[in-house]
Amino acid sequence: MHIPDGFVSTPVAAVGCVVAAGCIAYAVKATNKKMGERQIPLMGVLAAFIFAAQMLNFPIAGGTSGHLIGATLAAILLGPWAGVLIMTCVLGVQCLVFQDGGLFALGANIFNMGIVASFIGYYVYRGGASLFGGRRPGKLVGGGLAAWSSVLIASIACAFELGVSGTVPLGVALPAMVGVHALIGIGEGLITAAVLGLVLATRADLLELQKA
Amino acid sequence: MKHSFIDQYSGLDSLIHRLDPRTKFITSLAFIVAVVLTPASNWRVFAFYFCLIAVLLVISKLPPLYVLKRSLVIFPFVLMIAIFIPFFKQGEVAGSYNIWLWQVSVTYSGLLILANVVVKAWLCILSLILLSSATKLADLLKGLKQLGVPRVIILILSFMYRYVFVLVDEVMRMRQARDSRNFGGNRLYQLRTIGNMVGTLFIRSYERGERVYVAMLSRGFDGEVRTLHKLSFRQVDAYFSTTFCLILILPGIVWW
Repeated sequence: MHIPDGFVSTPVAAVGCVVAAGCIAYAVKATNKKMGERQIPLMGVLAAFIFAAQMLNFPIAGGTSGHLIGATLAAILLGPWAGVLIMTCVLGVQCLVFQDGGLFALGANIFNMGIVASFIGYYVYRGGASLFGGRRPGKLVGGGLAAWSSVLIASIACAFELGVSGTVPLGVALPAMVGVHALIGIGEGLITAAVLGLVLATRADLLELQKA
Repeated sequence: MKHSFIDQYSGLDSLIHRLDPRTKFITSLAFIVAVVLTPASNWRVFAFYFCLIAVLLVISKLPPLYVLKRSLVIFPFVLMIAIFIPFFKQGEVAGSYNIWLWQVSVTYSGLLILANVVVKAWLCILSLILLSSATKLADLLKGLKQLGVPRVIILILSFMYRYVFVLVDEVMRMRQARDSRNFGGNRLYQLRTIGNMVGTLFIRSYERGERVYVAMLSRGFDGEVRTLHKLSFRQVDAYFSTTFCLILILPGIVWW
């Protein structure tokens, strides 16, 4: 889902950059107020964690494989604004070091996989968890559902950007992207739920971080 | 550590390597914007930009095969777009094929969109490879900070850069351990194993992050990272960026 340069038109890329920059500026302010310098090394290490976790591929249908986006995981563990910052750094490094996603298109990529995915993931998780009274199954189901929907919504945003740019016909691209990512999202959802299960079993206190 | 995939060739010495990271970042961005702004099917302009980036790549002494290999990362995306090409119905039909039950026709306008996008993406990726392979990430981060990227982001990025090697090593060890234990079984079981690996990795990273902070605090960390190495915007940078930008807008003046 990392859009390279040239795949989105200039206006789309420019709007993406402006929106992403605005959200990042707010995220910087929000995390500064809430966390302070103590969290900076932690967020750096967790950005490296998301990056390393993305190296673990999981099998999808027919010999293809996918990897985690991780935005939901970051947002659940540290809150949505910190999730935005972590994903911004992960995507920035992927762009600048691995050319995974373009530089001018970085705004659009941060918007899809950083901002949209973090917020959708975070609120679906909170909704799911409170629906089950905040108990363990609720958190696992909520987390899995959150990860699945964050991948799905991010792919919809991506399809719209490509469609509006005139690179792909929206009428075909949208159902195709949604279909493929509904499948990939299942992997992301199950893994996220498994991660939450492990964290709940060993260090449940970490899940209460962003409330403090 | 067995991986050297991050800024592998940034230690070379060339005119490009010696430029200030700010110069390189701004000129790369200018190049990418210029390429993206170029209207479709202006092949002469694209060829011109290709020559420009090729000359710079030669000056930078990067191994051509390495550059070529790195530029293939756009391929999955190209493939994805190519699948949609038959669905562009407007325009003259270039070819019509019967594949199983479907009548698939490819139009010239569809092919044009594909060619255009591939060329643009490839030119942009070449310039990004040049930027990232000819600049040490630490220097690039310092440059980005002076270009106004928020301090928090720069700090997170520098920590990330420092620990990504450690954690990637950790992942590789875990993966080796998993594979040597006959990893397999049904898909759900595999996903659960990966979930447990990611969870373990998370807890280890988190605890490492806490230890790092405590260690830094006890060494007097006050939220500012100080280094002796200062960036310097020299005359060469001024000459390079002016010439580069002039060359960039040249096709706009000559051919429009």
